[in-house]
Amino acid sequence: MSSTKHAQNADVFQQNKEKATWHDNALWFVREKRDRISKTLPEWEELRALGEKIKLHSVSHLASYLEQFAANAEANGVIVHWAKDAEEHNAIATEILQKHNAKKVVKSKSMLTEECDLNHYLEAKGIEIIESDLGERILQLNGTAPSHIVLPAIHMKREEVGELFSEKLNTEKGNSDPTYLTRAARVSLRNDFLTADAAMTGVNFGIAATGEIVICTNEGNADMGTSLAKLHIASMGLEKLIPDYESLSVLTRLLARSATGQPTTTYTSHFRKPVEGGEFHIILVDNGRSDILSNEEHIKSLNCIRCGACMNTCPVYRRSGGYSYTYFIPGPIGINLGMLKDPVKHSENLSACSLCYSCNNVCPVKIDLADQIYKWRQDLDSLGKANSSKKLISTGMQFLFTHPALFRTSLKFSSLAKYAPRSLTFGLKEWEDGRSLPPFAKESFTEMWKKGKVKKK
Amino acid sequence: MSSKDYILNNIRRNTRQVFDKPQMDLNAIRFDDQLAQFIEISKAVGGDAVVLKEGEDINQVIRSLYPDAKEIASTVEGITLTTLNPDEVNSPKELEAVDLAIIEGSFGVCENGCIWLPQQIKHKALYFVTQYLVIVLDRSKLVNNMHEGYKLISPSEKGFGVYISGPSKTADIEQALVVGAHGPKGLTVILK
Repeated sequence: MSSTKHAQNADVFQQNKEKATWHDNALWFVREKRDRISKTLPEWEELRALGEKIKLHSVSHLASYLEQFAANAEANGVIVHWAKDAEEHNAIATEILQKHNAKKVVKSKSMLTEECDLNHYLEAKGIEIIESDLGERILQLNGTAPSHIVLPAIHMKREEVGELFSEKLNTEKGNSDPTYLTRAARVSLRNDFLTADAAMTGVNFGIAATGEIVICTNEGNADMGTSLAKLHIASMGLEKLIPDYESLSVLTRLLARSATGQPTTTYTSHFRKPVEGGEFHIILVDNGRSDILSNEEHIKSLNCIRCGACMNTCPVYRRSGGYSYTYFIPGPIGINLGMLKDPVKHSENLSACSLCYSCNNVCPVKIDLADQIYKWRQDLDSLGKANSSKKLISTGMQFLFTHPALFRTSLKFSSLAKYAPRSLTFGLKEWEDGRSLPPFAKESFTEMWKKGKVKKK
Repeated sequence: MSSKDYILNNIRRNTRQVFDKPQMDLNAIRFDDQLAQFIEISKAVGGDAVVLKEGEDINQVIRSLYPDAKEIASTVEGITLTTLNPDEVNSPKELEAVDLAIIEGSFGVCENGCIWLPQQIKHKALYFVTQYLVIVLDRSKLVNNMHEGYKLISPSEKGFGVYISGPSKTADIEQALVVGAHGPKGLTVILK
């Protein structure tokens, strides 16, 4: 039995070797696309540095930018709401929908509404909610959650989607052609767009200077929903706010290139006013974000623009899948956001990192993801979450290293370790899983040095 | 205390280090042959871009590209193929049967094929609900990158604007690219 929930879930993911290999390769392909496109811009690294600075500036001036944003949005005729937490966000959304007697809502992709578990909340109030991003719709029909923040159904094979659609959308049995299935979803969702009473969206960027929100999609689902319904409710995490168009120009250049290796998303939509005769609401959601500000070691988590590049590059994520993590956002950023949300509940995700630092190097806004994971690990003991066998090893090593005579003796016999059965070597069966013993040299460096076997230059 | 005050107070209390706004003096990418770059990138994002040659009739060019389009909606001056004035319908839902929409772009961005469209028609739904989309763009209105682009944008009266680059697309099933997710299944830019 592996030592953490993540490791146990990863074992399950790895049982289907073929699918696990496909998952690994598919995400690595996206990472390579990101590399190729970033190299077409000579200024790429400068752009990342600017992205980081813009976000740090925005987050450290959040109160004044929020006030500016709200004032400008209200002047544009938008109704702005403030929600302390998920519960308040869901209550506000429900109240708006009920006031408009909205029974059916189309929603575009929003990790924030996942965070708030909005869908279940609305369903319990008798409001039908339809996910309109294809990946999200597949998962909604399947009754499962996204396993990646940008490629939500990356863990599913076309055959599984084909089977699901034949059951739910009456497509031909056995037909799993992506174009055929996408067209079937298009027809079905068009009907939903045309009959929905309201549209809900997330937000990629909020612009303080203009009071508008910007949404980036490839499918056009956010635009279909919001241009056919009279009512638009946008849910926006506080950290989505940036100062102005100048800042936006930097971040739009980074987002799609980092996310999928595209030069841009198909649609970069700017919503400033309600549609003619309609209503436009923006719900500003805190849900723990304002507390992160005081946590200087982890404040850069608020830089995140949700591109998913850290997941695509992560050797652990690629080989364990999004469902192996206990937090709804997986991968390096999810490990950190989970710890900020509830460290006791999500500390076992900390094992899902080899500290290779690849995530730090691809993050478009330079979040120190691996450093943060390392820092969290130092806190594990105080959380009462340190792994007992690792603690035993550390304590043993400490004893050994501070007693030179004992250290030398044990080193002398270390080459014999290979003859001992594994579980006897350490007596730490669970720690041993996935680790192999290095071959020990017959002679230690000290012994060689004493015998004059080490040549001096 | 209102939630607004609670949130703002909490932010002010928790803000420690303050970072200045960076100078955005970036030496961003530029293109020697903007027209060639724009055509190339338009194709790379799944669309197409054609240059209207001297003496060519734009209506004939569009018709030859979309011979099967029946319901054609446009308010662009000089377009005679139009079968529907999109500003004359009451509900955006009435635009659902449009096969081809012809609209005018404000400027194009060479680094990524984006075309800026400040909403000029009554229902923005036309941009997304049409089966195919043609954007007419003045070839002299090309900029190198998004930094130059955003400097040109001023608020449109209708309160909506969108950068469009290529047709609607998705790769949500096994990362296989499918053009035509919810919006247009094809996009041609006519550079006049």
